[in-house]
Amino acid sequence: MHHLLPLLVAVPLLGAALLAATGRHLPRTVADGAACAVSAGSAALALLLLAHSSPPLTEWAGGWEPVAGHSVGILLTGDGPGLGMAALVCVLTLAALAYSRRSLDEPPHGHAGAFPALVLVFQAGMCGFAIAGDLFNAFVWFELMSVVAYALTGHRVEEARAVQGALAFAVVNSLGAYALLMGIALLYARTGELALARIGDALDAHGPPDALVLAGFVLVLTGLLVKAAAVPFQFWLPDAHAVAPTPVCMLLSGVMVELGVFGVWRVYDTVFSGPGGLPAADAERVLTVLGAATAVTGAVMCWHQRHIKRLLAYSTIAHTGLFLIGLGTLTPEGDDGVALYVVGHAGVKAALFACAGILLDRYGSVDEHVLHGRARPLRGVAVMVVAGALGLAGLPPFGTALGKSFAEEAAGGPFTVLYVLTSAVTAAAVLRVAARVFLGLGPTPREAGGEGAEDAYETTGSGEEPESGRRMARVPDTMTAVPALLLAGALAAGAVPGFGTAVARAVSGATTAGLVHTSVHWTPLGVGLGLLSSLLAVALAAVAVARPGRLAVPGRALPLRRLQSGHIGDYVAWLLVGTTVLGVLALPAVLSG
Amino acid sequence: MRLWLVAVGGAGLAALLVAACLRLPGFGGDRHPYGDRAVEAALSRHTANTVSSVTFDQRAFDTLGEMSILFAAVLGSVVLLRQTRDEHRARPEPAAVSRPVRRYALLVLPVALLTGLYVIAHGQVSPGGGFQGGVVAATALHLLYLGADYRALERLRPLAPYEAADALAASSYLVTGLAALLAGSAFLANTLLPYGTFNTLASAGTVPLLNAAIGMEVACAVVVLLAGFLDQAVEIVDEGEHDEHAEHDGGGKTGGNAADGGDHDDSGKRGK
Repeated sequence: MHHLLPLLVAVPLLGAALLAATGRHLPRTVADGAACAVSAGSAALALLLLAHSSPPLTEWAGGWEPVAGHSVGILLTGDGPGLGMAALVCVLTLAALAYSRRSLDEPPHGHAGAFPALVLVFQAGMCGFAIAGDLFNAFVWFELMSVVAYALTGHRVEEARAVQGALAFAVVNSLGAYALLMGIALLYARTGELALARIGDALDAHGPPDALVLAGFVLVLTGLLVKAAAVPFQFWLPDAHAVAPTPVCMLLSGVMVELGVFGVWRVYDTVFSGPGGLPAADAERVLTVLGAATAVTGAVMCWHQRHIKRLLAYSTIAHTGLFLIGLGTLTPEGDDGVALYVVGHAGVKAALFACAGILLDRYGSVDEHVLHGRARPLRGVAVMVVAGALGLAGLPPFGTALGKSFAEEAAGGPFTVLYVLTSAVTAAAVLRVAARVFLGLGPTPREAGGEGAEDAYETTGSGEEPESGRRMARVPDTMTAVPALLLAGALAAGAVPGFGTAVARAVSGATTAGLVHTSVHWTPLGVGLGLLSSLLAVALAAVAVARPGRLAVPGRALPLRRLQSGHIGDYVAWLLVGTTVLGVLALPAVLSG
Repeated sequence: MRLWLVAVGGAGLAALLVAACLRLPGFGGDRHPYGDRAVEAALSRHTANTVSSVTFDQRAFDTLGEMSILFAAVLGSVVLLRQTRDEHRARPEPAAVSRPVRRYALLVLPVALLTGLYVIAHGQVSPGGGFQGGVVAATALHLLYLGADYRALERLRPLAPYEAADALAASSYLVTGLAALLAGSAFLANTLLPYGTFNTLASAGTVPLLNAAIGMEVACAVVVLLAGFLDQAVEIVDEGEHDEHAEHDGGGKTGGNAADGGDHDDSGKRGK
């Protein structure tokens, strides 16, 4: 069974290569169908492997089994979290491909295979990263998914802003990758090992952490946190999400950003959690401080958007912050909760992006003010957006709610309040959009423009082109079926009894802490907090719609919004500052050691 | 403010790196845990060039990823550098080439091509291999652009076959890996072919096969990549002047138009 692990990468890559080779001569239907078949096949494979992942599968690529405890080969780790992420990647890729079938414009002549082939390579890169048990191999797949993501983001090259967004994405993420590579070089220089577990062993054998371990930790984490869009590395994400084609947004927000969080968990747990790594207190400090800053920034910025895709992008940032706080507890309960939260969030967020894509293709705009009351006929979509918003808020029985309740109980104290508030605000923003766009509630917003300094920092989202090439007269069934299925999946993740416990068992089987069986089920407190944040979200949205002036005071958040300047130099400067902040937060580990 | 951020962040990062570098093992030490193991493994598979053994045997799975990155870059740039609706193609004018340049270029072209193929073919024996040789072979073709003109180059490299060959080379790397899996060992295991005689062309098992796949992939990829950028610079022309895309703000950024990224305009077009 373990020999099949590399196929998670090889199958999509082979599919992509064959599509690229024959794509010139294929009609679009055949190319799209073949891509869907390949990603469905790899999804089935991932689920099959996941079912056999206890005890964790390990595979030495090329058959280089260790001799006397040492190997020159590459380790692939097929444990619960890795294969779970891979399965999530495959399922979301299938959803995005099915959705793109009708949502995207006809490809230029002779390029029918290019878009699906790129999506398949993206899938292969993400799967490879999820199952990598070797630090350098993880870097290779990290780069692969980055390169494809830049190209996919800039797919609509006719628009200047698509190129600009993709460029910001490429520059910031490439710098993150350099940091990651430098960190790998430092760790390799110390240990002479590349397999994650072996690096950890060698660090432990060397003694307490010193400046080199600190620098390795900081640089590796910088790379991963850029991908995870944690503050202050998050600037690329809204610019990229606003311009990427909708199916690509579903993948970026649904699973690629979460893979950054997953990488943080994997690297800390396998490499730095021993006595030669970083003491738990310091890791906790790093993750919870950055997580809290990320959650607050994401929530505030999300509330102040009117460009619906940017709004959803900031909501992803906010939730990433919550994931980081959950991991920062360094408890099995926190890990279990975050794992389940990630699964639920992927379904909900991808569905919300799919709905935003429907608005864009149907009305040629993703601007909350311009669309006011115009989407009244789209009742089904309205129901899905509201359901998605409640999923973000953590209304039981969504998977997000179950995961969030576990993570917030593990975090405890003020973080519980942060969890409730962040999820409520991000949900309220979506509910506000739904009330205005689909129901036409509240006063019609005055037309934008001529408002001086405040508007200069506002992206309206009205100058967009429909991705389908022309405005659709009616919404194709696949475009509504995909978000409906994704929401159903997110609901099932929380509602199906035993799913949460299965996730917990898969996660705890993989941690170095050993087998700790926690059973994940609904608790009265968790249900209560979920209901509370949902109520809070509805109340906030109601006030925002009825009295637009009261909650949307643009001036107060202006300093924060001004930071999102669109200037790549600013983003790079913040990346440097972020690296320094990481170093300062982790510094006590070395001073005391 | 940006400068302050760069100063603070850069100083912090520099301090971190300096502190870390002071703790690096000394230069010229005798402890090379991975190097020792890699050389031993290379010799056990009759591979004279240890670097090739690492890239195409011991860590062939990494090379699969690296090849895919190049493949994805080619696919991505073909998509991004496509001729958009507001652009058209201008036929480049032939330009005069001074005779010594022409003679030299046409003389060196076959030599450079042969050198590239040699470097690919001897990857398992001597320094070099698919990545290096592929680049040499691909650049050799572009001597035609120097020695003749752009249209001569275009005749020699019809892009469709090169794109297809790029993809097929990537597939053949994967198929070689899968064949090992089907034969009952692990993916990309070097168990299909006999290891041959040390330090001859027929040695190292599947290393020469993977090496050749990479060589073909890299050569085709470089040709297609260069063609994409050369087309933008030489042939593809904006229709009309710059499009106005001013309303994006996100903070008042001014996006560059995809098509006018280069500093080319009609008057600047030449055949070469």
